[in-house]
Amino acid sequence: MSVDEFTALHGLVLKKAGQAGEVAEVLGATEAEVAPALDAAVAEKRAMAGRGKYMVTPAGRAWLDEQYPVLFADLRADPGADAAYARFEEVNRELLALMTRWQTVTVGGGVDVSAVPNDHSDAEYDAAVLDELAKLDSDAGPVLHVLAGLVPRLGVHRRRLSEALARASAGETDYVSGVRVASYHTVWFELHEDLLRLLGRTREP
Amino acid sequence: MSSVIGGVVVLDGTVVPDREEIGNKAHSLATMHRLGMPVPPAFVLTTAVGKRCAGGLPDDVWADVLAALAHLETATGRRFGEELLVSVRSGAAQSMPGMMDTILNLGITDHVEAALAAASGDAAFARDTHRRFRESYARLVGQDAPADPHEQLRAAICTVFASWGSPRAVAYRNHQRMSHDGGTAVTVQAMVYGNLDDRSGTGVLFTRDPQSGDTAPMGEFLPRGQGEDVVSGEVDPLDLADLAHRLPEVHAALLDAGRALERHARDVQDIEFTVERGRLYLLQTRVAKRSARAALKLAVGFVDEGVLTPAEALARIRPDHVTTVLRPVLDPEARATARVLARGEPACPGIGSGRAVADPDEAAFAGDDEDVVLVRHATSPEDVHGMIAAKAVCTEVGGRTSHAAVVSRELGCPAVVGCGEGMLAAVEGRTVTVDGTAGEILDGIVPVRTPEPSEIPALARLVAWAKEHPDAVAANHPLSELPSDASKPASL
Repeated sequence: MSVDEFTALHGLVLKKAGQAGEVAEVLGATEAEVAPALDAAVAEKRAMAGRGKYMVTPAGRAWLDEQYPVLFADLRADPGADAAYARFEEVNRELLALMTRWQTVTVGGGVDVSAVPNDHSDAEYDAAVLDELAKLDSDAGPVLHVLAGLVPRLGVHRRRLSEALARASAGETDYVSGVRVASYHTVWFELHEDLLRLLGRTREP
Repeated sequence: MSSVIGGVVVLDGTVVPDREEIGNKAHSLATMHRLGMPVPPAFVLTTAVGKRCAGGLPDDVWADVLAALAHLETATGRRFGEELLVSVRSGAAQSMPGMMDTILNLGITDHVEAALAAASGDAAFARDTHRRFRESYARLVGQDAPADPHEQLRAAICTVFASWGSPRAVAYRNHQRMSHDGGTAVTVQAMVYGNLDDRSGTGVLFTRDPQSGDTAPMGEFLPRGQGEDVVSGEVDPLDLADLAHRLPEVHAALLDAGRALERHARDVQDIEFTVERGRLYLLQTRVAKRSARAALKLAVGFVDEGVLTPAEALARIRPDHVTTVLRPVLDPEARATARVLARGEPACPGIGSGRAVADPDEAAFAGDDEDVVLVRHATSPEDVHGMIAAKAVCTEVGGRTSHAAVVSRELGCPAVVGCGEGMLAAVEGRTVTVDGTAGEILDGIVPVRTPEPSEIPALARLVAWAKEHPDAVAANHPLSELPSDASKPASL
């Protein structure tokens, strides 16, 4: 099944820049399905390509911004989507607090709390955070299920999150909050941006 | 009476079994008992017993548990199923994800809830305790809590043993190349309550200050607090001086215990405690996490007190402790005259200067040739490549736990977040200096200076020791690499 130009460009904008394979991964498609649509976008001057990498042009960005309100008018009018997004924001706040606990530890308890980088020398501390992440992942399940019911493509993020969790839990610690891999935080961040774009919302402070 | 009943060890201080037998946490409890510390009574089902319990708790093991439970009843003067509630926790020699969470307040029933309400004078607390127990039991054990407290206990113990074989625990051990033979122990401990009256509460004690490295103990105490109240930080706790005023005997006993535990461990302890009707209980002790500066100062202090040898002190200093204290700081004189353009929340420490750029693409392209600071309203995944290229990152909205903060920490990129609306307009296009430690954006390039090792007395002494004990420090450790003349001022 081929991917249409809008979807391919949307996937590209979530990644900012990337190879067809990377865009395919964020969309839950294959490289062969995505590459023709990206090439079509290049022909339309909505994307640029070089050294195997694609990037959205300002014109492509403007075109995307025109498409969202049209393509997702029903979704944006759906109170169910509103409620699901509100729930997502709740879990999002918990997730970011958890990521912060993974990256930093407080010194001196609640007295004049100060944070120092987590050097990952305390296996008990790390195991507890990983257990919290597993619990958060299962708490997030229902809302992600609802969102995938509204926009089936969003189901891919659930699978990507599960994979990141499995690798993080097994001790590949980069898969918690690492920036250069499809870590739990990276995937969640992309999912969040995906939702913001579809729903026409801006990031909450 | 023996403290070992079959495969169950009563923690009364007479024996301290190996970590492999009873797990890390129970080993710590056993050690505290051995040192004569007031610890809530507890018993442990050993890892060896656990291996026999894969298919459920054999009757002979259950009989041992009941005998150990009788010990708990005698020690507390409370009966299980009436007033005595227990916690049930896993404990392996090494912590790993995927093990069962601790179940608190096991043994609670409608009847016990009423008794707890009467004892605490707080019916809402008793009801909430019961509700939270039912919820966590159902989640962790996978069934509704039985009405019979003994059945609750038996099923909970089985679930802890079974969690050793949970997919996540197995995956972790596979990845870490750990043996699957170790097994987990199960610790059953009497609950104590900090919310029973005005002479009750909960708190933490640090035997020395883990931020500054000063020798004075620090801590906090929350009267009528229970469990996570102190940790959650939702209520303002009292300090140790207040505790001394309110409950002088508890304060004295706590500090004595802290000193003894620190002496035994030869390191700063982070101790959780609860006071129940004026009686002190220590719940947990562990080596305190500390700032880099404190790590240096504490290590030197322990040598001066004869607790550690210089070689042992050197072994406690990690390379990042040294690099952190030698991190460049703003020149104080230049800082004093610099104009502050915006203030926000410090999200990642360090200093970065450059031209403030609002477009992440521009930051990514320009970042190769010139120093840029990425300034954004908030950040999205698209900005990450700009953050990678930037010397610092600032946002108008978002706090210490925003996506921007998480990514900047991952990159080690100094960051100030939540500077407020209008920050962009104030700084875009200007050359700025971002102080991610103080949470400030300053106008212009503010010069930085790197502290000299000789300015940090503890570091200077450690460097001198590293020269005297080259075997105690790795050759590529900063303590070995810093010039030896750095140590001269301290040896005067």
